[in-house]
Amino acid sequence: MKLIRDVLDKKLIDLEQCDMGRVSGLVMYVGERSQPHISHILIGGSTLWMRVHPALARVSNRLAQLWGPKHKGAVRIPWTRVKSVGRDIKLDVEARETGALAWEIWIARHIIERIPGGGKEEVE
Amino acid sequence: MEIHIELLLGTKVCDVDGEDVGRIEEFHVQRDESSCRVDAYLIGASAVIERLSAWTLVRPVKKLLHSRNLLTVYEVPWQDMDLSDPQHPRLRIAKRDLRHIK
Amino acid sequence: MKKVLQITLGIITSVGGFLEIGSVTTAAQAGASFGYQLLWAVLLGTLCLIFLVEMSGRLAAVSKHTIVDATRERFGFPFYAVVMLGMVLVAFMVLVAELGGIGLSLQILTGLGFPWWAIPVSFLVWLLMWKGTFRLIENGASLLGLVTLSFVVAAVKLHPEWGSAAHGLLPTMPGDQKAKYGFVAVSILGASISPYLIYFYSSGAIEDKWDESYIPMNRMIAGFGMTFGGFLSMAVLVAAALALQPKGIDIDKFDQAALLMTTALPKWGFYLFAFSMLVACFGAALEISLAIAYFFAQGFGWNWGEDLEPSKDSRFSFVYTIIIFLAAVPLLFGVDPIKVTMISMALTAATLPLTIVPFLFLMNDPIYLGEHRNGWVSNSVVAIIILISFVLAAISIPLQIIGG
Repeated sequence: MKLIRDVLDKKLIDLEQCDMGRVSGLVMYVGERSQPHISHILIGGSTLWMRVHPALARVSNRLAQLWGPKHKGAVRIPWTRVKSVGRDIKLDVEARETGALAWEIWIARHIIERIPGGGKEEVE
Repeated sequence: MEIHIELLLGTKVCDVDGEDVGRIEEFHVQRDESSCRVDAYLIGASAVIERLSAWTLVRPVKKLLHSRNLLTVYEVPWQDMDLSDPQHPRLRIAKRDLRHIK
Repeated sequence: MKKVLQITLGIITSVGGFLEIGSVTTAAQAGASFGYQLLWAVLLGTLCLIFLVEMSGRLAAVSKHTIVDATRERFGFPFYAVVMLGMVLVAFMVLVAELGGIGLSLQILTGLGFPWWAIPVSFLVWLLMWKGTFRLIENGASLLGLVTLSFVVAAVKLHPEWGSAAHGLLPTMPGDQKAKYGFVAVSILGASISPYLIYFYSSGAIEDKWDESYIPMNRMIAGFGMTFGGFLSMAVLVAAALALQPKGIDIDKFDQAALLMTTALPKWGFYLFAFSMLVACFGAALEISLAIAYFFAQGFGWNWGEDLEPSKDSRFSFVYTIIIFLAAVPLLFGVDPIKVTMISMALTAATLPLTIVPFLFLMNDPIYLGEHRNGWVSNSVVAIIILISFVLAAISIPLQIIGG
């Protein structure tokens, strides 16, 4: 398998077939003598902007401090939760429990639901 | 030590003698039920072709130009890469000892 | 039968692309200044778009990924970020122009200046997206868009010399005003080959749940839909050539373009023009707003879908809400939509390579497309379109300055 071609920037799908974002980054654990392995998938936060320029990552962090959900950093999903890698990456987690949908839920509750016709974000 | 793959991507690599080898463009990994181990690093601009899945475009051009070495990709086994300084990765071997692929 | 009715996706895409304020203004300008000489530019734009739209539909049907999905996944986030910056900036300007176009149409119908219409018009566009479904937008805009056939009626009623018009389908150089000719040609191509059209169509194929069985129908929809739009655009050019050029009228105001309809249809032409432009710009505004929201949502991996309740795809809904109301702001201050149109056409042409170059790679990707990858014909066409896009990118801004 090729990490950049097959994993990085791919869409992540949870147990309930819900979109939970894209692979923004990957954490590789490098030991003294052991073979490096991928320990975590990173979603969101300033991880993405860091890939363009560190200054953009700083701006992203600053803006996130001004408004938005409490959990603002990148979400870390252990690699052990990966079920399959294909056109999309299927995970053995529920998106809501990981914090990957923190912004989606925050915008739904604080903005969208306050507009008539916006509906309710939570599943009944 | 934890290293971010997405930041390692595109970093210049030197060999043990300080000679430029190229940039890290791809990672070969072996995946099993619970782990994903890095087998090798692909170095060289042409490794970008792997990422773009563009060999179906490039092979005919390469054939037309009768070139074997037009596109150079080095495959570096994990043991031969020193990532103690992730911003300046170094090989533990010389460039001449590297394996070309494709 | 259901697949045949999908032709509405093709029609709304092309109406939004070919019969919106930019295309009408540039086609009318082309006819008024150069007669039939620039019909080749409309034909070239149409042909390019048929291929690009067919490819984007095929990618979506086979891989269940849109062009945006595939661009992010294959080229990475930094490249996607550059495309996003270019595309969103230009599409936003076009959205301002379209909302302004609706306002200008209402201005000529009611006498009330277009800045007064900025907020009501934006609200209506937003409301349709907030409450409507993709099918409603698709079918509604397509059906209403058929009123633009009145441009064809006007062109025919003016009795064009078909032989001379046919000559215009081949490129020729004008005797004088070469810079202006070049500028209008680039504007026509920039107005036709609009990236937002391609992103909208590819997303629409996913919204309509296409699969591999839609591949033959996709060819027909792309071909028929874009031909319909190109044909309408040619009708505008022909009508302008006959109604405006003999009188030496150069289009620099929106209401001057109404003459191309009123000359042929004195009784109803005025209302038909205003209503046609209103409907066409409305369809375009919906399409562009959706295209921008799709671009963000697909690129960042958010939930998206026009059929979902807004709270179920809150970030997607938030983006189009913000974009639509921000686009009303320049109009409130009386910024001329026609000027915005001309600048946005040149900028579209300048940023085209960012959209087109990925096509060459994505449409040959065996993982996404398998046996449905491009053949040598399609690859050759994409290569030619890439060449055209680089030429346009190089000359559009200098020509805007010299000939605009």
